[in-house]
Amino acid sequence: METAYAQALWKIVKGDLPAGRQGMTPHKAVEALREVLVKDGREILLSRISKAFEKIATRELARTQLTLSVAREKDERHAKREVKKVLEKLHLNEKHLVTRIDPHLIGGWRLEGAEHLVDASFKKHLLSIYNRATAE
Amino acid sequence: MNNTIVEKIIQEIEKYTPTHEGEHVGRVTAVGDGVVAIDGLSKAVMSEIIVFEETKGKSLKNSMSAQGRSTSGGEEHSELYGLILNLEEDGVRAAVLGDTARVMDGMTVKSTGKILSVPSGDELLGRVVNALGEPIDGKGPFKNATMMPVERGSYGVIDRKSVSVPLQTGIKAIDALIPIGRGQRELIIGDRGTGKTSVAIDTIINQRNEPKETRPICIYVAIGQKESKTARIVAQLRAENAFDYTVVVDAPASAPAALQFLAPFSGVAMGEYFMDRGRDVLIIYDDLSKQAVAYREISLLLRRPPGREAYPGDIFYLHSRLLERAACLSKEKGGGSITALPIIETQDGDVSGYIPTNVISITDGQMFLISELFNKGIRPAIDVGISVSRVGSAAQTKSMKAVAGGLKLELAQFRELEAFMQFAQDLDKATADRIASGQRMVEVLKQKNGAPIPLELQVAVLYAAGKQLFIQVPVNRVTEAEAKLLAFLGGQFSETLATIKKSNQLSDESKKQLDHAFDEFRLAHPELFGEAK
Repeated sequence: METAYAQALWKIVKGDLPAGRQGMTPHKAVEALREVLVKDGREILLSRISKAFEKIATRELARTQLTLSVAREKDERHAKREVKKVLEKLHLNEKHLVTRIDPHLIGGWRLEGAEHLVDASFKKHLLSIYNRATAE
Repeated sequence: MNNTIVEKIIQEIEKYTPTHEGEHVGRVTAVGDGVVAIDGLSKAVMSEIIVFEETKGKSLKNSMSAQGRSTSGGEEHSELYGLILNLEEDGVRAAVLGDTARVMDGMTVKSTGKILSVPSGDELLGRVVNALGEPIDGKGPFKNATMMPVERGSYGVIDRKSVSVPLQTGIKAIDALIPIGRGQRELIIGDRGTGKTSVAIDTIINQRNEPKETRPICIYVAIGQKESKTARIVAQLRAENAFDYTVVVDAPASAPAALQFLAPFSGVAMGEYFMDRGRDVLIIYDDLSKQAVAYREISLLLRRPPGREAYPGDIFYLHSRLLERAACLSKEKGGGSITALPIIETQDGDVSGYIPTNVISITDGQMFLISELFNKGIRPAIDVGISVSRVGSAAQTKSMKAVAGGLKLELAQFRELEAFMQFAQDLDKATADRIASGQRMVEVLKQKNGAPIPLELQVAVLYAAGKQLFIQVPVNRVTEAEAKLLAFLGGQFSETLATIKKSNQLSDESKKQLDHAFDEFRLAHPELFGEAK
């Protein structure tokens, strides 16, 4: 039950509603929902709805968020330049891009998110060579 | 690191061209009991293979040990695969085809776009592989194997023909009374410890008596068995020179449920390679009850609705789609065949259970192995009264038909009289003779494990029994008399046997020669006939 309420709220927050039913702000929607639940004597659901909403939000953000990993901080600029072309090709938005440092990559970059993975790290290339050389 | 590897690495570096191709991925959100929930992978398809990325966040050295070998070696650190079994609204659920402990929450999962396939080909003969077709016998990876899809539709009506060629099991009771044809599905059903596996293994061993060009390729699929049992079977097949034409697919009790449920499909996929090329294949599923249990486990973990005995709704389809892949193909399709001998273990002789009745209804016949007969020393413990072969008689050779014609009726009459005999004291001569003959026939049909008999010898022995050769032999010496007769015929009347084998018929001339042989045998072994009761 709480998941259904949380999903409805998430749709309002995202503005993902059918035509003719848009216009309610998230704030107003939460107020209205609270009033309905209190009226029905079901305000106990509120905390559960908030937890379910948090779960959905985390999942959805993870889906849209793009993580660009580089081995060193100084590689970031070059990586971002290269990634720009990749993002265009995949029709992904640069505004969701988050950068993090992963020294295990050795060099190059790795882009992950929105169900896509582009690994251009040195580690991947080296592993690939090693796998082929030791395949037999 | 030796020079060869260094050379190889240099070669690989020289021809390496880095690519920035994207991959379709998802993220593990829940893991447990061999099943994972994955967020993403919205373009994945059913039965697709996925790869768990174990190298993320690990140093190069650790990554090399985690994923440093390609799959076919079957080493401890090969890539970890999963099989998509549920497509859901916001993700997928997959079975882990390996050690679940290696899967972590949040792990990246890559789509491969490939449906599960297993290697097949002549290279697999004499090898032991797991349910994914990876060698587990330490003899190294396959080099030229052809990949065959594990899930494939069965051949249609037009592509098939009726069963017409016999598959000799080398077991008198089966070849005479429940004959099996190439392309047939004959269920072996019985309680534990009644000799089901022995019947199947003897059938594999007997194929060594077939000419090499028409000898069926044998595939033994061990599902949920003890490793020690499978090791014993492999050793037995090796010792009997039957391993060169056999593949063993092993999904032991210690393997994840997903592999146990997949193993029969992998086995039949390997068999289809040979069938598609016009070869005959014999496949043993030992046993499908354990496969059903593994599938139930997977289905419950995937949260599919449970039905009768908590089995999922598609448990019938699981077995029907597997067994329908056994077929006898038409000439236009190459004329190959797959004969399936599925095994079902019953509990306390209850053949009316859910899984036994399902598989009985799918197969073309059943042989029931009964504990009571086994404990009486009648082995193989096949109850010929209730066992049937619906299509095999069309494939029975004329020579066998000639000697086995009235056998089933004679045995049925004997069983009735045997029960009556316990109360009656004075029996008329006709009844007493029938009982004496029946007792000897039961003895003749007894056979030791691992000792299949070629067709021509079976025909000769059954002809002798039909001619009442053993009627003067004490019941407890019939087995001995039979063994001596086999040796006698093999030594002195090998030409007669060769004629029966070649013509597949029992001509009047052959009958005459056999009658003569029996007279000679009586003279050569008077001690067997002297103490008649």
